[in-house]
Amino acid sequence: MSAPVYFAGVTVLTLAGITVAMLLRPAFASSVLRFTGLERGPVAAPGSFYSVRVQPLFDARCAGCHGDKMQKAQLGLESFAATMRGGKHGPAIIPGNVRDSKLYARITLPVSDNRAMPPSGKTPLTKNEVEVIQLWITAHASGSLPVSAIKNAPRLVRPVEIREVNYGLVQRQRAPLAATVQQLQRRFPGVIDYEARDSADLEINAFLAGRSFRDAELQALMPLRTRIVRADFSGTAITDASASMLGGMERLRILRLKDTKTGAGSLRAIASLKTLRSVTVAGAAPETAPLRQRGVAVYGDHDGE
Amino acid sequence: MSDSTQTDPLLELLERQRQTRRHFLGWGAGGLGAFFLNSAMANPAGGLNFARAPARPLSALPPQFAAKAKRVIYLHMGGAPSQLELFDHKPQLTRFDGKACPEAFLKGKRFAFITGVPKLMGTQFPFHQAGKNGTWISDRLPHLERRIDDLCIIKSMKTDQFNHAPAQLLVHTGDSRTGHASLGSWVTYGLGTENQNLPGFIVLISNGGTTANAGKPLWGSGFLPSVYQGVPCRSAAEPILYLDNPRGVSRAERRQVLNAVEEINRSSYKDFGNPETVTRIAQYEMAFRMQLEASDAMNISHEPQKVLERYGAQPGKTSYANNCLVARRLAERGVRFIQLYHWGWDSHGTPTDEGLNVGLVGRCRETDQPTAALLADLKARGLLEDTLVVWGGEFGRTPMMENRGGQEMKYIGRDHHPSAFTIWMAGAGVKAGLSHGETDELGHDVVKDPVEVRDLHATMLYQLGFDHKKLNYPYQGLEQKLTGVKPARIVYEILA
Repeated sequence: MSAPVYFAGVTVLTLAGITVAMLLRPAFASSVLRFTGLERGPVAAPGSFYSVRVQPLFDARCAGCHGDKMQKAQLGLESFAATMRGGKHGPAIIPGNVRDSKLYARITLPVSDNRAMPPSGKTPLTKNEVEVIQLWITAHASGSLPVSAIKNAPRLVRPVEIREVNYGLVQRQRAPLAATVQQLQRRFPGVIDYEARDSADLEINAFLAGRSFRDAELQALMPLRTRIVRADFSGTAITDASASMLGGMERLRILRLKDTKTGAGSLRAIASLKTLRSVTVAGAAPETAPLRQRGVAVYGDHDGE
Repeated sequence: MSDSTQTDPLLELLERQRQTRRHFLGWGAGGLGAFFLNSAMANPAGGLNFARAPARPLSALPPQFAAKAKRVIYLHMGGAPSQLELFDHKPQLTRFDGKACPEAFLKGKRFAFITGVPKLMGTQFPFHQAGKNGTWISDRLPHLERRIDDLCIIKSMKTDQFNHAPAQLLVHTGDSRTGHASLGSWVTYGLGTENQNLPGFIVLISNGGTTANAGKPLWGSGFLPSVYQGVPCRSAAEPILYLDNPRGVSRAERRQVLNAVEEINRSSYKDFGNPETVTRIAQYEMAFRMQLEASDAMNISHEPQKVLERYGAQPGKTSYANNCLVARRLAERGVRFIQLYHWGWDSHGTPTDEGLNVGLVGRCRETDQPTAALLADLKARGLLEDTLVVWGGEFGRTPMMENRGGQEMKYIGRDHHPSAFTIWMAGAGVKAGLSHGETDELGHDVVKDPVEVRDLHATMLYQLGFDHKKLNYPYQGLEQKLTGVKPARIVYEILA
């Protein structure tokens, strides 16, 4: 046989083999179709109950045998599409029907039953984890329902993970403003600090400079405005003349304005800061209402209790 | 002075005599000792670098990762408050009140004073539910009850020390023996302090002498450089002992004295090169600055009358209420670690006012209103968000009535109980309105979510932005840590 015929024969047999494999293994069929872009399985929305509560649970407790590397009983749980697809015994989830959902049945079997999931030797799911899955299936196994829509879900408890710091990366992130930061640190001792060793973001503790810190001094800090995440101006001499400067700190999370001469102007300027989480104001003012409505914690506008 | 060294043969001889082996091995300029001191803080062995300019040992350093807590206010109730009379509601214990304690609870246990077979004793004060989550609390803390939704109550604390001094040392230094650095020292070592005109670690004491059962080591710096030790301050009279100028010496005259002392110290530094000399010069300067700022910070007489009433504070007296108000003022001024001690909770039931129905009542009355006022005040000023407030003792009290020497007691009391006690935390990053952990139905042992003292420390350091394994200092061949050598766990369940 000639080379092209041989080559064509190999190609045909390969494609035939792949087709047979796809027919015998639905999981493989789906991944081939996704790889070639012919099929896009359902995708869960990023803020959905599934993405926030259920998928991390599967990743932590099931992915070892039902994930990217291995699909026992041809069941993958590494994505919404995979979970809804099911495996060798058919769909693992029946939306809205907890009793008939095989996945739920398996995770609620007594530990002594050898069909219980996770299998013996692995830690069984906690009561709270089972409840999360049950709530999700009851909510029609939705991939779009937001996490806040399901009210009585057990509290999400995140085990703490401390990342190793990549100091090289941090240096590079700090590099553009590093010289300015050092120069301003010399000018205002103790006022400017990095937020953390692993961060290029800055904190401003102007309260340490007291009344000698005025609007002009705040102007001097403006080259750093995109990096400022926390600013405490308590007891300084800044006024509403600084309002637009405060509004220019586009990544500000925490702002303290106690004992300053700031007022409505500053409050209006910061109302549009997207990342603002908490603010202590100089005194009571109606302009605090829009901040509260956005969910920003507002302090200092009423006395005591 | 340097000129005379070169011409005078006697001084030249002295100069040469200084270059001894001792100086090379010790702290002399260019000596190995000075080299080590800097490298000890630089911590090359994979830890974090805490080296600072010797003249600014308390300068602020950023935490390892972004932290919720910027400062700590630790309210220590010395003597061990009875959790069974305050927070841990045990109705079954009340059912068995007066019955002999079952053998199982006595076997293998060491008690401080109980002998023979003691009787079980239910709570002396009624409990009820309060707040949004129906948290159980006794009737002894009516003011704190109004703030119960701010608290995270941990009922499953455990310790292995059954006597005051070692237990207090364990809670405050991480080890039951002396010689270790206190919590506040570790925190100021790791983070420095924001306000360089005030001490970074301040201790305020009420209802007792200046020394606790365990004494000054509770706020000592142990093996850390001594500049990180706690400074006890008083809320009446002179805030910091010996800080003010002696009678008849003005501030200007004081400045002249300091200038002269500094010149001598600098000359000594030139000769011997000991970096501790530079730190000493810096401390004199700090004390000079502190004369103004500390007196102002500790002075509560200018606070509005309604604030004083809320705390129950009275300017001029020493009291827990005054100390709480001072603590808020210090927190506002950028002090890193503020520790309050209030003694007298050791409710054994022996004579003097240490009974549950006598002493405990008094302690609650002294501390309830100011503690609640402090929480409310911090919250209203936006400070509670980044202040970690901790309240607790060094161990718990037994579900059995104390029977010292096997006798009936004059007053009602409980013995020391390390197996289970209660503390609460509030503020920075701690989940409010939560109750963590449980004891058995008699309140004897922890049955759910035990928290060792080192776990509490690991969690506090995490809130302050540190991996407790990375905040260390090399000493005696070991990378010393607050949490010690046994594995410690961050109690992430209580974190918001």
